[in-house]
Amino acid sequence: MTTTHQDPSTSASVSGQARPETISVKNLRFYYGDTLALKTISLPLYTNEVTAFIGPSGCGKSTLLRVLNRMYDLYPGQRAEGEVIFEGRNILNKNEDLNLLRSRIGMVFQKPTPFPMTIYDNIAFGIRLYENLSKAELDERIESALMKAALWNEVKDKLNANGLSLSGGQQQRLCIARSVAIGPEVILFDEPCSALDPISTAKIEELIDELKSDYTIAIVTHNMQQAARVSEYTAFMYLGELVEFGQTAQMFTSPQDQRTQDYITGRFG
Amino acid sequence: MSSQHSVKVVSPEQSAKARMAILRRLKFSDVIFENLAKAAAYTVLLLLGGIIISLIIGAWPAIEAYGLNFLTTTRWAPSLKPQPILGALGPIYGTLVSSLIAMIIAVPVGLGIAIFLTELCPHWLRRPISIAVELLAGIPSIIYGMWGFFVLGPYLAVHVEPQLIAFFADVPVLNAVFSGPASNLSLFNASLVLAIMILPFITSIARDVFTTVPPVLKEAAYGAGCTTWEVVWNIVIPYTRVGVIGGVMLALGRALGETMAVTFVIGNAFKIQSSIFAPSTTISAAIASEFAESGGLHQSALILLGLLLFVLTFIVLAAARLMLKQLETKQGK
Repeated sequence: MTTTHQDPSTSASVSGQARPETISVKNLRFYYGDTLALKTISLPLYTNEVTAFIGPSGCGKSTLLRVLNRMYDLYPGQRAEGEVIFEGRNILNKNEDLNLLRSRIGMVFQKPTPFPMTIYDNIAFGIRLYENLSKAELDERIESALMKAALWNEVKDKLNANGLSLSGGQQQRLCIARSVAIGPEVILFDEPCSALDPISTAKIEELIDELKSDYTIAIVTHNMQQAARVSEYTAFMYLGELVEFGQTAQMFTSPQDQRTQDYITGRFG
Repeated sequence: MSSQHSVKVVSPEQSAKARMAILRRLKFSDVIFENLAKAAAYTVLLLLGGIIISLIIGAWPAIEAYGLNFLTTTRWAPSLKPQPILGALGPIYGTLVSSLIAMIIAVPVGLGIAIFLTELCPHWLRRPISIAVELLAGIPSIIYGMWGFFVLGPYLAVHVEPQLIAFFADVPVLNAVFSGPASNLSLFNASLVLAIMILPFITSIARDVFTTVPPVLKEAAYGAGCTTWEVVWNIVIPYTRVGVIGGVMLALGRALGETMAVTFVIGNAFKIQSSIFAPSTTISAAIASEFAESGGLHQSALILLGLLLFVLTFIVLAAARLMLKQLETKQGK
């Protein structure tokens, strides 16, 4: 099969300037045991932009996301080859400090994952791992994180309630606040809205749009409209291959590859 | 093909009647099932009540003779004339302290094994360790008793106790806890045997509840940059707290009531001594070692000891429930 994705440099020239890349994926191959799940993928995550990964189930988009913060390392038998360059280093190196890496590249999951503790502690937790702040500074950081996640007004009177007592949409924003509080460079969203109602979804999308001024964002989504709404760049993946990568507007209006066209018009997937 | 012609046409009333008959039959078996289940559940209550009542009846002469003094007396002189002097303080102390020391040793080790098995252990090593831990639970207590008596006790008396006594000789308070002489049969020996015996309970329950933590929750914590220790301490243990405490309490119940192994190694001395290397006794060990040749008030006092053990275990379980409830309110649920 031929891969007809645009060369990143071409798409950069389309926008008229060389875009800085926060993460560069180069010739990435990923294995679950003996199964090749990602077949030589290269793409950039541009700084302070939202990049969407779309494609039918099983195409490897979540796998790709989980490579970017080495989450796959938790499970035996999963391994990656190639290069993922972040801050000048190949983070696939064996001696990469995973705790540091994951504090720089945050992740928000499909299902909300509040920790079994109070709302306050859910956010303080991540901060306390890395910094020793006074109570006042900590309060301030927590407020600003909750503000950024557009959750402050809803929870400011019940910071000592359990994080699990919030609604699904609020829990998801709590998780975003938690990621933000640690102060990452990149935030990875793995289908962040698939368990949420339309109103919560709209809130999260709005949030992603605001967050991109401070962070580089990658989002896996099954919802084509969502990809079109929130992202500047889109990567279409199919059966472990990167079929097409380019600016979202361009990809949705004039896809280069027949498969992309078929997928975004709903003919399969 | 020909059967197609012989399909019976059933009127709605007929089919309704047939269904009613079937339903009636099902209903009958359902009633039987319900009553059987109910009877099984009530049997538990009946047994529990029966045991308590028979214990109280058996212990009544001793309750009448000693009253509350039974709880505060250390002396145990069953053959004294005209009336024996009997007090439960020694066995109560021995029971509580031996269980406490066993828990201090077994809880961290047991949780450590469970954490290793669920979070850190390479796959091929998991099964052998799990099986070994479960086998530990399968060893009859009499074998632990013999091993403690013939192997562990003499070893401790020569290679561990003298060193500990020397080490803590100049530390205030602790030098009373670790004081000589070293002895084959001691509270410490019993605690160690108990710790080994309850280890499998703590480990297997903790391992089971640790595996109930949703992987995505752990991923979220690792995703925030936590180390394995931070994930276990801040996520896994709080998430499974209720289950872990349940396992610990089950183990504590087992430790409080364990009889055979303890009787072998504790030395059966009705005394309260500050040193954990001195012989002592527990409630169950006292009953086991004296019941066969007891009679009259002596036997009644032993039954009263049994009743006390019952109450003690009940209090421990109730305290555990209370603790869990408080934890939940503190957590903001």
